[in-house]
Amino acid sequence: MSRIVSGLRRQPVILLAGLVLVVVLVGGVVSRGTAVAQDQPLDYSHQTHIAAGMDCLFCHSSATRSQIAGVPSVQKCMGCHETITPESESMQTLQGYWERQEPIPWERVNKQPDFVYFSHQPHVNSGLACENCHGDVSSMDQAQKSVEMDMGWCLDCHAQQDEAIAPHLWDCVVCHQ
Amino acid sequence: MQEKLSRRNFLKLVGGAAAAGTAVAIPVAAKGVGQQFVPYVKPPEEALPGDATWYASTCRMCPAGCGIMVRTIDGRAKKIEGNPAYPLNQGKLCARGQAGVQSLYNPDRLKNAVKQNGRGSRSFEPVYWDAALDEVLAKLDSVDPSKIVFYAGTMPDNLYYLVSEWLTAIGAPAPVIYDLHAALEGRAVSLQAAEEMFGAAQMPVYDIANADVVLSFGANFTETWQSPVAYNKAYGDFRGQAGGRGFFIQCEPRLSATAAVADEWVPIRPGVDGLVALALGRIIIEERLGTAGTLGQIYAGMYRGVDVPTIANAAGLEIEQLHRLARILAEADRPVVIPGGYTAGQTNGYGSYQAIQALNLVLSRLGRRGGVYLSQPAPAETLLTMPAPNSFADVQALIERMNAGQVEMLFVYGANPVFELPQAAGFKEALAKVPFVVSFSSFVDETAVQSDLILPNNTYLENWGYQVASPGADRPAVACQQPVVRPLYDTRSTASVILDLAHAMGGAAAEALPWGSEMLFMEDVASILFGSSLNPYTAQTAGEFWAAFRQHGGWWSDRPLQQEPEPVGLGQRPIIVTAPAFDGSARDYPLTLYPYPSVVMSDGRGANLPWLQETPDPMTTVAWNTWVEINPATAHRLHLKNNDVVKIVSPQGEIEATVVEYPGIRPDVIAIPVGWGHEDYGRYAENRGSNPIDLLAPITDPESGALAWGATRVRIERTNRTHALARLESLHGEGRESLS
Repeated sequence: MSRIVSGLRRQPVILLAGLVLVVVLVGGVVSRGTAVAQDQPLDYSHQTHIAAGMDCLFCHSSATRSQIAGVPSVQKCMGCHETITPESESMQTLQGYWERQEPIPWERVNKQPDFVYFSHQPHVNSGLACENCHGDVSSMDQAQKSVEMDMGWCLDCHAQQDEAIAPHLWDCVVCHQ
Repeated sequence: MQEKLSRRNFLKLVGGAAAAGTAVAIPVAAKGVGQQFVPYVKPPEEALPGDATWYASTCRMCPAGCGIMVRTIDGRAKKIEGNPAYPLNQGKLCARGQAGVQSLYNPDRLKNAVKQNGRGSRSFEPVYWDAALDEVLAKLDSVDPSKIVFYAGTMPDNLYYLVSEWLTAIGAPAPVIYDLHAALEGRAVSLQAAEEMFGAAQMPVYDIANADVVLSFGANFTETWQSPVAYNKAYGDFRGQAGGRGFFIQCEPRLSATAAVADEWVPIRPGVDGLVALALGRIIIEERLGTAGTLGQIYAGMYRGVDVPTIANAAGLEIEQLHRLARILAEADRPVVIPGGYTAGQTNGYGSYQAIQALNLVLSRLGRRGGVYLSQPAPAETLLTMPAPNSFADVQALIERMNAGQVEMLFVYGANPVFELPQAAGFKEALAKVPFVVSFSSFVDETAVQSDLILPNNTYLENWGYQVASPGADRPAVACQQPVVRPLYDTRSTASVILDLAHAMGGAAAEALPWGSEMLFMEDVASILFGSSLNPYTAQTAGEFWAAFRQHGGWWSDRPLQQEPEPVGLGQRPIIVTAPAFDGSARDYPLTLYPYPSVVMSDGRGANLPWLQETPDPMTTVAWNTWVEINPATAHRLHLKNNDVVKIVSPQGEIEATVVEYPGIRPDVIAIPVGWGHEDYGRYAENRGSNPIDLLAPITDPESGALAWGATRVRIERTNRTHALARLESLHGEGRESLS
């Protein structure tokens, strides 16, 4: 008995590996994922655009005015890419959408459930930086989910804020209207 | 050295590995609705993503034509509500109206024009619109115009105008208008009777909201009848009046959802509605009951020869019951009597309709508050183009012409005659003898399957149109229908197809329809109303008016304006109501079949929308299937119980349905909802339930030519099979034990 126990003591890494495997498998089934690579229709790089000096709000221009930040129209993309690197492969794909007058079906990265009311407008206008929720997008090509945006995460952050600026969300109907 | 693993590090390691593992193990989020951002290609100026744009338009889920507001985001229709400003429905909308978005996004919609490889093959090939129209034009050129038939359901006024002008210009007969919804609500009979009795072919409007007693003969006005949303609103007002809740009596063999909200349900025998009305009239006049009994003496001639005891016996009522009803009516301040669709669907329907309307005359209810008015279209009178639907007798005549080879080209719009007409009428067989059939259906329905070419219409959320409210509100009203989204697919509005055909044909057809597009036609329509003194909004120019017309969802009078019916065809001569006749002998077929319009399926047109399929019937709570309602006493006698599958046999055919023991029905009547039993019409509709219309005998009321859809007798045969119906709850509260 003691040998078995001591044996186990000598092999914590093996035990740990087993546990990890179990957690990985279970996690794989139940988790909604925190950093999921998206199969986007177009090879778009946030990093390149931000490195070129663009502000998030140039493309996601309704973040200060609307519930949703907005994804740019094909027309907006073409506004620059008519002349900027039109020969690259991904620009050819973009050109194809424009010529067919088809919208680009971007895969969502973050999505709140239907029973949650969330608006970008008050968050952005109160001075909260985009990366607080969306991570360091300037280092990403395709946008990745940087955090699980669940209720605990919302409440945690709001609880740390000065109540004069942000409500502490003790009232359910602020989000579950 | 053995690595010491703290609890914190352990969790970090496990969590990190789990996260990494998740990245590998979980596939990319499933693609589907709600999983993608699909921004505009070119956004409208000033469009703010996430900001809803509401468009006012018109509902086309039934012919009532309620005003709607459609919420759109990023060019997509998301939600439909009632238009609060439109006087007909006053912001309300029914379940069918709410489900309209599912017709837009329906996965079974035709996405382009198609040609069928042999009728009935269900094998379709896409065809370019130009090629399809060329084919139609070539056929039009080669056939005798008098052998072209346009068969349609109740259409919006704009389309009827364009189609009828086009047909006249090419020398073809006027469209044949017939659909099951209109038949079940007695629309043709209402208009025909109004023309004869009141000298104006306008739909009567019953002012339920201001009545104190409502006596309805099978008018299911809280469900599907004529303008159900407007009548539901009126019913709410009726119950909320300052003077009391009012008193509502519903006479029909089955406890409908409307009868269920009545104060009294009188389960009379089928087909005796008019006879009961005659007896009530005679009692009021003969016994000088109330003011009506005194003032109504001048109408005594209408009731000559009415035998009250015989009628009481025929109706299955006690004479005292008739006396009591007569007293309630005569002593009321503002009673109103309503003839319903079931009244019109009998072999004596027209006479019954007159007898019921005559009660309103005797009670001095014509043109009075809480009484009967006629729809008032002025100044939209010239815009009200849609005539009364044709009678079933007219459809039978068409079937004969088709069989005789006198129809060479048939267009079908907004109707599904293969599904909707009694099988015994033989429409499907006659259709096979028509050399070229074109359907405008947005879906592959039973009739489209029997056609050569389908030129799919846009859905109503992608189309232009207008409709003069009929039956109307308390004032003239014209609802404007405008596209709230761009057409999702390569479909075209039938109105624009008619314009294209007319222009391509040139000559008289092009002259009759000079509008370059249907929008220009609509603009012309709006200009007719521009000069009216009743305008609800100010507009300095016709252009400004046209913008306001679209913005508000139509035009309506700024003040109530109702039309008083003139009793030109009523007065002295006796009203004749014959005894009802039924198909099938009482010995072999002991039960009378009552096929009633389902509140969600209507006449079957709602069956392709899953929201409607899953909406439980308000009386039986059944969803997704056909059931047969049988009185528990009858079920006991036939050794039947809930969920037994039975065969219902009429002299014309047989169907199967599942039993629901329903105490709210006469023991000598069974009821089956209409709407299920589709063979085609998309994945949600197909092979689900059965169609009671298949059982009907093609018999008519000789006076009106209307289909006597309530006049078929049936018997029930056991199959010894059971089928558990999807029901929200049982009638007897089973499953609620935990609540006690």
